[in-house]
Amino acid sequence: MFKKLMMLAVISMLLLSACAPAAPKPEELKMVFLPKFLGNAVFDEAHAGALAAAKELGVTAELQFLAPATGGEGAKQVEIITNATTQGVNAIMLSNNAGDQVAPAAKAARDAGITFVTWDSPIPSAEGEQVFVAQVDFSETGKVMADMARNILGDDGGKFAVLSAGPDSANQNAWIDALKETLKDPAYSNLELLDVVYGNDETEKSTQEALALVDKYPEMELIMAPTTVGIAAAAKAMQDEGLCDKVKVSGLGLPAEMVSFVKNGCSPEFALWSFYDLGYLTYYLTYRLATGEIQAVDGAQFESGKMGTFTITADPTRPDVPGALRVLMGPFSQYNASNIDAAVNP
Amino acid sequence: MLRRLERLRSWEGILLVLLIGIVIFNASTTPHYLLFQNQINLFQLHIEKIIIALIMAFIIINAEIDISVGSVMALAGCVMGYFFEKGVPFGLCVLAGLLTGALTGAFNGFMVAYVRMTSLIVTLSGLIGYRGLAHVLLENRSVGNFPEWFDRLGQKPLIGPFPFALIVFFILLIIALIILQRSGAGRYVFVIGNNSEVARYSGVNVRRVKMTLFIVSGIVAAFAGLLLTARLGSIRGDIGIGTELEVITMVLLGGVSIFGGTGSLYGVLLSILIILNLRNGMGLLNVPGENQTGVIGALLILSVLGPNIGRGVSEAWSRRHVQRTRVGEEEKGG
Repeated sequence: MFKKLMMLAVISMLLLSACAPAAPKPEELKMVFLPKFLGNAVFDEAHAGALAAAKELGVTAELQFLAPATGGEGAKQVEIITNATTQGVNAIMLSNNAGDQVAPAAKAARDAGITFVTWDSPIPSAEGEQVFVAQVDFSETGKVMADMARNILGDDGGKFAVLSAGPDSANQNAWIDALKETLKDPAYSNLELLDVVYGNDETEKSTQEALALVDKYPEMELIMAPTTVGIAAAAKAMQDEGLCDKVKVSGLGLPAEMVSFVKNGCSPEFALWSFYDLGYLTYYLTYRLATGEIQAVDGAQFESGKMGTFTITADPTRPDVPGALRVLMGPFSQYNASNIDAAVNP
Repeated sequence: MLRRLERLRSWEGILLVLLIGIVIFNASTTPHYLLFQNQINLFQLHIEKIIIALIMAFIIINAEIDISVGSVMALAGCVMGYFFEKGVPFGLCVLAGLLTGALTGAFNGFMVAYVRMTSLIVTLSGLIGYRGLAHVLLENRSVGNFPEWFDRLGQKPLIGPFPFALIVFFILLIIALIILQRSGAGRYVFVIGNNSEVARYSGVNVRRVKMTLFIVSGIVAAFAGLLLTARLGSIRGDIGIGTELEVITMVLLGGVSIFGGTGSLYGVLLSILIILNLRNGMGLLNVPGENQTGVIGALLILSVLGPNIGRGVSEAWSRRHVQRTRVGEEEKGG
């Protein structure tokens, strides 16, 4: 009752003040940077990149860094988007972890005039999403992994297994399919993929699965993990068990987490895109859209600070979704003993 | 009895003070909190859980528990989505979803009331099994593009500014209040929760009451699952994970005893309002996700300890007392 009374007392006043949001000055743009979940180093890097872009563009309003606490709470992104819409922010940058379930909330945000960009992981139906900033071309991932396997195993090739994230992880599944496709090429005929196992992006499960692979396939010489959690867990398991001479580890990893394994030879080479650059580019694009400098249309070009000029195109990875747009960042960065120090301490 | 009532009343008093404190804090710290749309959003973002909390209060007061509700939500939605994909008329798909809830509820109820298994075990297997079935039906796909009226029902206001689900919640709240607090059936729920043997010997049809409660719980959970599907515009096998814990939390914070027999819907309503307003306030203040979880977690620990600690201490005390008396008697006898 008390609540209702207070509500009534203040509501008319607030409604008036909320009615006409004036176009904000560029330096006062209120933006929300919304990754899949908190506490993952790659998203912190992306955040750092976005902050750097904000500084370069002279935006003084604080960049809100909000996300569900864990990766299992994807649907909580809906709540964050809805609250941000209530607060009347100017732009939201989302790494989607809830499939199409965020679409209604994203549409509501768009209806409220909020600029909505996705990065790292798009909204499949593209509803409510203006542009998706893709890190790399997903089909390229398969070739990069096959090349690394060949580099590590040598010219005579060998047998290897894949340690992935979850069996339902869309990104990883696409990359593994691309890897299998690449292996059909006669140039890679001396590489044999033994098995694909899943560590669910949990360190403990990934460690168990890696050790189980060693037991199961004595002839295996390499574990390829297309996930930052899996590659670090596998490399640590091989190191701790003294197996690094026999079984190498490669895949997609974070330089800061992999530096010691590169140096002790457990993981001579791995790849990743720069999440820092991904956050940086995403912020630039979102800023350009929010200020009205560019429109989200096929062919629009924009300048992105030190990264240069990019073009918005129709998204070839979602051919059946009309109006899906993307900006492709690319390419991969490959890390080994020669460049890992520079990557960790830029 | 009188003392118990007093204790409850004072627990509700504490909840009311807490709620008022949270509302004042929210209103004074964030200007968007009192916006009418925000007050609607505050309910709407958790509407499925608070609808299920109403029936969960009945079940826990009845000294049972149903932790399968989150999985029933997903299964009902997936059944609906599965048939919709196969081209079945949409009305029938909705009906199939609700029927799924009734069936799962009837199964849970049968195992509890007639086979006399513990409800925790029965609904735990439901929690795992129904979720598994949901994943079997839709694998990892999501099904969407439901008829527009369905999406609109979940996402847009129906009457004035009020969405369908919110109106349903208030209607169900009034019905639940009347049944539990004012009707004979409601008294049966309490009596059975206090001591089902005594209730049985007094001529209460314990089986029928329990069976009914679990069927209603299944239907309500299925309905909530369809509401969530409408609100999100699509269905996947993994929706509603963890709902059971949040719902049970709301009920326990409301002063309902986990051992059954005690509690009131007024307390549950207060605890619902506390949790919703707390979450909303923290969301609008951009409190990081981990800290939100921490605050809610702390509240939960308090909620479980608060209403139960008094009972626990007094029971432990009386046990010791009884033991001592017995020891004393044996000594005398020897």
